[in-house]
Amino acid sequence: MEGQINRLERMIVVVARLLKDGQTVAAGTLSPIPAAACFLAKETSAPGLLPLIYGDPDNRLTEGLFELFGLAQQGRIEVFFLSAGQIDGQANLNLTVIGDYLRPQVRFPGGAGSSMLYALAGRTILFATTHSRKILVPRVDFVTAAGTDGGEKIPWRRGFADCLVTPLALFRFDEGEKRLILESLLPGATWEEVAENTGFPLGRKREEVSRLPDATEEELAILRGKIRRKLKSIYPVFCRNLWGGDEL
Amino acid sequence: MKTLRDPYGGGEYVVVPPLRPDVAVIHGRRGDREGGVVVLGGRTDRLLALAAKRTIAQVEELVAPKRLRPYQDEVYIAPIHIDAVVVAPGGAHPTACPGKYDLDDGHLQEYLASAQDPDSFDRYVKRCITGPENHEAYLKEVGRGDLWKARSIGWRG
Repeated sequence: MEGQINRLERMIVVVARLLKDGQTVAAGTLSPIPAAACFLAKETSAPGLLPLIYGDPDNRLTEGLFELFGLAQQGRIEVFFLSAGQIDGQANLNLTVIGDYLRPQVRFPGGAGSSMLYALAGRTILFATTHSRKILVPRVDFVTAAGTDGGEKIPWRRGFADCLVTPLALFRFDEGEKRLILESLLPGATWEEVAENTGFPLGRKREEVSRLPDATEEELAILRGKIRRKLKSIYPVFCRNLWGGDEL
Repeated sequence: MKTLRDPYGGGEYVVVPPLRPDVAVIHGRRGDREGGVVVLGGRTDRLLALAAKRTIAQVEELVAPKRLRPYQDEVYIAPIHIDAVVVAPGGAHPTACPGKYDLDDGHLQEYLASAQDPDSFDRYVKRCITGPENHEAYLKEVGRGDLWKARSIGWRG
């Protein structure tokens, strides 16, 4: 069974289990894993979840992102999701540029509302769809959205990163130490694999790291059935790449 | 009233704190089981729902989510702003739910007349507010039992 589960499916299940019943959670653009995780959680462990998924035809906001930002300012977004081109151990996110700002090697589309939402959401679950030293770096080239209030530039924020989920591992953000610390391995992943592909210190010894239970048959059946059908209208390319074909 | 200096353009302005009602009660044309509601546009129902700590929406009919799309003269209010949906066809009576039913002028005149003196007002309250055992009974009492029948066109899911 284990060999048949895709690593992204495992990620979705791990993120879904992080969500608690009754929470208001929101995901912005280019966030198929959080979207799938929210829908899965609502069908399994958190039926009272209120997901605000960008692009979801079944749960629109009258004024779209404008309204979402207003809700975040009021403190009503309990959990938000973010990813980035580069993420460092202090949970800083780079959505702006790789290399020198004026002579970039890669120019990303930009931060959109990430900085503001990172600061105003109750907590933020970070995700990366590939686990590599290219993405998980010692220090981001550009801080688009700050992981901590270390500098004097941010006068106030409501919440911080909660954790970082990759196809291999779950890192917890320690607010005291202000850094990401390896907590668990996803099924199928090894400590060596994580150490080899992470550009910042893991913060835990091999024997201190737990292993997350695998997706259950029930979770997989719901994910590959009802959730896949729903997600297809929002993220058709993601669904095709993960599950192939158009037959449903 | 307090004043603040505009940090961008200078100048002194009077500022007031935002109003935060504990509860807002609004009337919508349609609602669904997720808590989404469609109200008539050009009014302040959505603003009320956004400002209040809790919002109760009474609606003319409960519909499938697909039928919740607002038409040109309507405004959609997302479930996050709504705490409860009450199916109450004719629930705006004796005022209007434009497009569904008009203001009941005869009833309002009767109310105004009865409000002239405490005894007749008490009789009005007993007949129309505390007397009827439910909303359906109220509508029948005021001669608008036809509005209750509209419930049968709603969606049962």
